Amino acid sequence: MSIKDELEQIVEKKNVRDAAEDLVRYSRDLSLNPPGMPEVIVRPETSQQVAAVVRWAGTNNVPVVPVSSSTHFHGCTIPKQGGVILDMVNMNRILEIDEYNRKVCIEAGVTWRQLTEELDKRDMRVIMPLLPHPERSVLTDWLEREVPTNTVYDYGEPMQSLEVVWPTGEIFRAGSASVNGYPDSKSKGTNPSGPGLDFYRFVQGAQGTMGVVTWTNLKIESKPKIDNILFAAIDDLGRAQDFLYRILPRRIGQEVVLLNNVDLATILTDKWPDDFEKLRAALPAWTLIIVISGLLRRPEEKVAYEMEFLGEVMRNEFKDIALTDNLPGFPGIGKKLLSLLRKPWPKEVYWKNQWKGAAHSLFFIAKPSATPLYKSIVEEIAAAYGYALEGLGMYIQPIEHNRACHMEFNFFYDPECASEKALIKSLSCEAAKELLNSGAFFTRPYGDLAAINYERAGGYASALKRIKKLFDPNNIMNPGNLCF
Amino acid sequence: MANDRYDTPKKKVSFEVRDLNNFVYDMSRCIKCKGCYWVEHTYMPGIKYTTRCPSGTWNEFDSYQAAGKVRIGLAVAEGKFDWTPKLLEVIYADPLCGACDVGCKRNLDLEIGLSLEALRIKAVKDGAGPMPAHKKIARNIADTHNRFGAAHDSRKKWIDKGIGVAEKADVLYFGGCSASYTNNEIAQATGKVLNASGTPFMVMKDEWCCGNVLYSVGMIDEATEIAKRNIEAVKASGAKTLLTSCAECYRMWKVDYPKMLDIATADLGFDVIHLLEFADDAIRNGSVKPVRNVDLRLTYHDACSVSRLCDAWRPWKGERGWMGTIEPRYKRRRGAEGLYGQPRNILGAIPGLTVVEMPRIRENAFCCGAGRGTKEAFPDLARFSANQRLEEVREVGAEALVSACPFCKNNFSQAVEAHGEEVKVMDIAEVILASL
Amino acid sequence: MAIRKEAYKALESVVGSEFITDDPILCEGYRSGPGGYESATGYERVMTMPPGAVILPRTTEDVQKIVKICNRYKVAYVPYSTGFYGPRSHCHVKNELLIDMKRMRDFELDDKHWYAAVQPGVTYSPLQAECLKRGGYVVVGGGGAQVSVVANMICDGWSPLSLRIGFPHRRILGVEVVLPDGEILRMGSLAVHDDAFWGEGIGPDLRGMLRGYTGVLGCLGIVTKLALKILPFQPEELKPTGISPNTGLALPVNRVKWLNFQVPSKEAETQVMYEIGKAEIAGAVTKVPLFWRAIAKTEGKEEFWDEWGKESEETIKNFHIVRVLLIGFTSEAQMRYDEAVLNDIVKEVGGVQRPTKPIDQSWIKNADSAGMWLMCGAYVSVDYIIESIPHADTHGPTYAKLKARYTPPFMPDYGDPGWTMVCEAGHQGYSEYLVYWDPDEDTNPVDQFYVETSKMNIKDRYYTSLLGSHQPLYLTGPKYGPNYHEWLLKIKGEFDPAWICHPPVPLAHDEFVERAEWMKSTKDWETPDELPMPKW
Repeated sequence: MSIKDELEQIVEKKNVRDAAEDLVRYSRDLSLNPPGMPEVIVRPETSQQVAAVVRWAGTNNVPVVPVSSSTHFHGCTIPKQGGVILDMVNMNRILEIDEYNRKVCIEAGVTWRQLTEELDKRDMRVIMPLLPHPERSVLTDWLEREVPTNTVYDYGEPMQSLEVVWPTGEIFRAGSASVNGYPDSKSKGTNPSGPGLDFYRFVQGAQGTMGVVTWTNLKIESKPKIDNILFAAIDDLGRAQDFLYRILPRRIGQEVVLLNNVDLATILTDKWPDDFEKLRAALPAWTLIIVISGLLRRPEEKVAYEMEFLGEVMRNEFKDIALTDNLPGFPGIGKKLLSLLRKPWPKEVYWKNQWKGAAHSLFFIAKPSATPLYKSIVEEIAAAYGYALEGLGMYIQPIEHNRACHMEFNFFYDPECASEKALIKSLSCEAAKELLNSGAFFTRPYGDLAAINYERAGGYASALKRIKKLFDPNNIMNPGNLCF
Repeated sequence: MANDRYDTPKKKVSFEVRDLNNFVYDMSRCIKCKGCYWVEHTYMPGIKYTTRCPSGTWNEFDSYQAAGKVRIGLAVAEGKFDWTPKLLEVIYADPLCGACDVGCKRNLDLEIGLSLEALRIKAVKDGAGPMPAHKKIARNIADTHNRFGAAHDSRKKWIDKGIGVAEKADVLYFGGCSASYTNNEIAQATGKVLNASGTPFMVMKDEWCCGNVLYSVGMIDEATEIAKRNIEAVKASGAKTLLTSCAECYRMWKVDYPKMLDIATADLGFDVIHLLEFADDAIRNGSVKPVRNVDLRLTYHDACSVSRLCDAWRPWKGERGWMGTIEPRYKRRRGAEGLYGQPRNILGAIPGLTVVEMPRIRENAFCCGAGRGTKEAFPDLARFSANQRLEEVREVGAEALVSACPFCKNNFSQAVEAHGEEVKVMDIAEVILASL
Repeated sequence: MAIRKEAYKALESVVGSEFITDDPILCEGYRSGPGGYESATGYERVMTMPPGAVILPRTTEDVQKIVKICNRYKVAYVPYSTGFYGPRSHCHVKNELLIDMKRMRDFELDDKHWYAAVQPGVTYSPLQAECLKRGGYVVVGGGGAQVSVVANMICDGWSPLSLRIGFPHRRILGVEVVLPDGEILRMGSLAVHDDAFWGEGIGPDLRGMLRGYTGVLGCLGIVTKLALKILPFQPEELKPTGISPNTGLALPVNRVKWLNFQVPSKEAETQVMYEIGKAEIAGAVTKVPLFWRAIAKTEGKEEFWDEWGKESEETIKNFHIVRVLLIGFTSEAQMRYDEAVLNDIVKEVGGVQRPTKPIDQSWIKNADSAGMWLMCGAYVSVDYIIESIPHADTHGPTYAKLKARYTPPFMPDYGDPGWTMVCEAGHQGYSEYLVYWDPDEDTNPVDQFYVETSKMNIKDRYYTSLLGSHQPLYLTGPKYGPNYHEWLLKIKGEFDPAWICHPPVPLAHDEFVERAEWMKSTKDWETPDELPMPKW
C-alpha cells in the first residue's frame, strides 16, 4: 500500500491528494525559505482523524506538517524533511459563540474573515493583530503570538483552553476544557492553564512542532459604541516613545499603532504605483494612530475624559505633538484606517505584497526606549547592503502600558528576483544578530532566526529539546523548524 | 456562652507563666505567617527594613524567630529535648521585645510573648538556665541590690545640689539601676524637669533594682520576692504615683509585677507612669514650658518597654473549649497602649527641633537589642541590632537619636562610637531639659 | 536524623558554617505543624517530618551547587521560601535537606517598563510598598502579604484586584530556575539577556513547566529569580494609619475608594460583578463572604463567635454585598465616570450603597489571610478555581452541600458558598472554597473530605485549576486531559529521574492515601501496584 492508500483508510479518499500541482502549492510560501516538497496532503475533518493520521505517521516515522491557513509568511509550513501535510482547511467550524461569557470556540481552519463576519453580526469582536490576512487561521495567529493592536487589556492575549493532538496521537484538552465530558460540563473552557502543567504554553510559538491544535477558545470583546481615531505626525521616534510612555500607562486608547511612512503608505495606497510614491513622500516619518473609544456604557463620557487627559498632557508636556482627528493633507484617512483596524485585510493582495510582490518582516519584542537604537542599527546595515532606506517599512506596536513593544522592519522585494531575495536574507540575518546583541528579544524565531537565537540561548534550547523528546520521541512533528 | 455550643471537653487554662503547659495551645496554633518577624504589612516601608524581629534578623534560621521558637517550645513542653547550649541560645538570644506578640495578635489570639517567658521560666526550673552572664547579674542584685554589683550606698549619688527632692510627695521617682549608676544624666535631667514643673517628688528610702533582668531571664521566684518587697516599699511611702524614666523599669512595675502576683495593674495600689506621660501632660497643661531653641535634627526610637510591651496587665484564668474559645472573656493585650503619641507631642513642642521618623517606628520599631539581659549574654546580638537601627538613622539623616530608655541609649552610644559616627545619642529627659 | 557527613561538609563549603545546620533543635523549628495552612490534618502528621539539615543559600550559584551536591550524594531536598504554604512545602522524607531561601531577597524594579525582578525571599508587602512609591501596584494574592512573590506567582494568587488582569501566570516575565539536576534554565528574555523584561519563550514557552503542582512546591526545580508585571496605579499617596490590629491605608478618595453595595439576591450579586467586567471599569470587585465581614468587625475569637452565632442559613442566603474598588488610573474625571457607570449598574439590580470607610484594610498592601485562622485554629482553601462566571456561581454551592456532610468537624457556616469574584473583566469567574476546623477534633473526616472534593469535581465536571495538592494524581489524572498525570510524570522522570527534588511530590497525596488507614475507605480508583517513583 502506498502512503496515499494508507491515509485514505483514515480520512475519506477525497481528502487525500498527492498530485504534483497540489503538492507544489505547499512547497513554498511568501517567505525567503527555500522550497520543500511534501509527499502527500491530508485534509482531516475531525480530531479523531487528525489523531489517527498522527499515530500512523508516528508508527511509520513520517513527518507531519500541520497547516491551518492558505497563506504563509514565515516558512513554518514548508516541509523541511518531506512528509505529510496535515491541512486543517476542512476543520473550519465556529463551534460556539458564547456571548454571555464573551468567548468563542473555533477550529483551526477558521479564518479571520470568517470569524470577524460572524462576530460583527453580534456586535462583538476579537482583538486583532495589525491587518491580518483574511484567509489566515485565527487560531494559529494567536498560537504564534501575533501582537494585538489593542493595548488596553491587561490580560493581553485572548487564548483560553484548547484541544491538541500530541505527536503520540493522543487527543488532549488543555486548560479547563480538560474536564471529562467537555463541552457537556460545568466548565466552559475559559481557563487556558493546566491541568497540572500549563500545556498550552508548549504549543504556543511552536510552529506546529509540538502537536496539532484542533480547536481553541478565545476571548471576544464588546464592540465600542463610539470611536475617535486620532493621528499625530511625529518626526522623532524617541519623542513618540516619550509620549507613549506618558499616556499609555494612564490607560488611554483602544488600538494604538505607530507606523512609518513606508508601511503606512503601503497600507493606504489604492492606486499603485502613483499614489504610493506620493503618499510615501508626503506622510510624516512616523504616524501615531490612537483610537479613543466609548464602550457600552456612557460612551461619550469615556471619550470625554480620555480626550481631556490627552489635551492636558499635550498642552503641558508635549506641545510639539498635535493629535488630531485627521492627518493634515490626508482627507478621509480616519474613516479608512478605523475600518482597516477592525477587520482583516480587505484586498486580494496582502498589503505587504502590493508594492513589490513580497516583503520580509524582521520583528522582535523590545523595550520602547531602545527602538531608536534598533532603527539606526537596521538602517546602517540596510544601507551597507545597498537597500534603499526610503523602502524600509517600520511598524511599532506598543504592548500593555508600553511595558514593551513589537518592533517590525519590512523589507520589500521582488519574489522573482533571486539576488534581491539573497540580499535581504543576508541583510536580515546580520541585522538580527546585531539586534540580538543590543537587547532585542526574538520570541518567534522563524527561518534563519532559529539558529541565531538558539545558539545564544543554549540552556533554553537544551531544555526545550528534552521536553520535545517526551512529546515527540520520533521527531515527526514538523522537523527542521526551531531547534528540532 | 461562646463555647457551650458543642460538647467539646473543656480544659482549665490560665496565663500563668510558671506553667509552660498553659501555652501549649498557643504554640500549637502558630500558622507560620511570620507576622512575628515582619514589619506589619500596612506599614512595610519597602524592600529595606522589612523585619522587626531582632533575633530572627540576626540569625536567619526560622528557629530564631517566634514561628520556629514555638515549634521548639512545643517539643520542650513534651520533654522531647535535653537542654543543650543550642536550645538555650534559641531561647535566650532574644531581647523579648514584643514584636512577635504584637505581630501575631494583629490577627490571632495567641499569647506568644507569654509562651517565650514561660520557656525561660522552665529553663531555670529545670536547672539549665539562665545564661552565665545572667547568673552574674542575679548575684549582683542579691548582693548589692543593683545589677552592676556596685556599692548600694552610692545609689543616690546622682542627687546633686541642683535638684530638689521632697521628703514626702504624691509622686515617687524610681531612678532604676542605670540612671543611678551609669546614666546619672538621665536621673538628673528627670529630677530637674520635675522641679521645673513644680511637681514635688520623693525617692525611695532604700531603692532596690526593679528585678527586670531576673524576671526576663526566667528567675521568677527571685523576681517575685523583689516585686513584693518593692511594692510594699512604695505603699509604705504613701506615694500615689510611681514615675520612672527607664522604659524597662516602667514595664516591670506596670506589667510584670502584677503578672507575677496574679493581680491587675489597676490593683497595684498606685499608678505607674513614665516620664513620657508626665512630660506630655505637663507641656499640655503648661507646667512645663519648652522655651529654649534646641537646634537639632533628631529621630526618636520607640523603646520596646514603653511601646509594644506596656499594655496594662490583666490576669486571666478560665476554661478553653469549643474551637479554642475561652471563658470568661479576655480583652487581649495587643500592644495598642504603647506610648507613641507622647514622645512625639513632647518633641513637637520643643522649638528648633526637626524631628524625622525612621522607616520602622511605633509598634514596628526595631529593638535596640540590649534590654532584659540580652546585651550581657549576647553582645553580638545587641551590637547587630543597634547597627540595624543606626542604618535607619543614617537613612533619614538624623544628627541625634533619642529614646526613653538607658539600655537603648547605652547600646546605641557604643555602636555609634564603634563606627566613629557623629550621631548624638540622648535620652528624651535630656532633650526636654535642654529646652527649658 | 541527619544527612550524610560527606554531603554536609560539601554543603557547608558552599555557604559557610554559619548558614547550614543539622542541629536537631534548629531543625525542629522547621517542623511543618502542628499549626498552619492545611496543618492539623492527617497529611501533615503522616507525611511530613523535620529536616535532617537546613541550609540558607544567598545566590543562584549557591543553589546550583547545593542541588548538584544533593544529586551526587542522593540527598532529597525541598525549597522553602517562607514555609507558609503548609505541609506540602516541608520535608517529607528522612534525612532531607530543607533549602530556606530567605536570604535570597535581591530586588530590581524598572518603573518605566513596569516590572520587578525578585528572588524567592521577597514577599509581597515590601514589593507593593516599592511599587506604590512609584505609582504602580501588583496584585497581592489572598495568601497574604507575607507570602513569597515567587511562590505565589507560580502557584496562583488571586485577589479582587485580579479584576483587570487575572491569571498570575500571565503576569510572569523572565524566570530563572535551577533544574533538579543542577542545570540553570533561564526563560523569557533572561534566556538571552541579563534583563527579565519579557517572558515568552523563544518559540515554545517553557514557563509551562513552572505551574501546576509540579512547579509550585518545588518538585521540578527551584525558581531563583522571577520578574513580574507591575500595573500602573494612580499618583496619590496611600498613607498607612492606625495601630494593630486596626491598621489600614487611608485612601485618597478622589482617586481610590472602596464602595460596598447591598443587592437583593445572589443573582444580582453576579450580575453586578458581571456588568462591571463587561463595562471595563473599576480596579477590583468581590463578593464578600459573611464570615470575613464578621472577622473584620470583631476583635478576638469569642466576639467572632458571638457575631457569627447570630447568623443562620436564612441570613446567609439573604446577605449579598458586593465590594468594588474604584481606581482613578487616568484622572479624577475617569474616577467619576467609573462611579457613574457603577451606580447605573447597581441601580439596575435594585441595589443600594452602604457606608464604606475610606480605608483599605486588606487587599491593596496587606491581604489579610492570617485572620482565617482566628475562628477555629485550622483552615485551608480546598479549591480555588478560575473558570467562567457560571462555573463560579455553581461551584461554591456544590461544595457547600458536600461540606455539610462533614460538618462537624468543619465549622458551621450555614451553607456559605465561599468567595467569588470576576477576573479578566468578566471573562473569568473566580471561586474559592474555604473550610475551617478545630485541630483538636477528629480530623480524619477533613482528610476524607479532600478526596471527596476531587471526586465531586470529576463527577460534576468542574475544573479545578490548581489540581490541588490534596487531589491524588491517579484519581484526577485519568479524568483531566485525559491523562495529564502521564505527562506530568514523564516530565518529572526526565528532569528528576531519581526524584531528589521534593519527594514524593507529585505523588505525595497518592502515597498518603495508601499509608493512612482512615483513607482506605475513600480509595475507589486504580493505582499501579508500585507508584512509579524511587523509594526514599
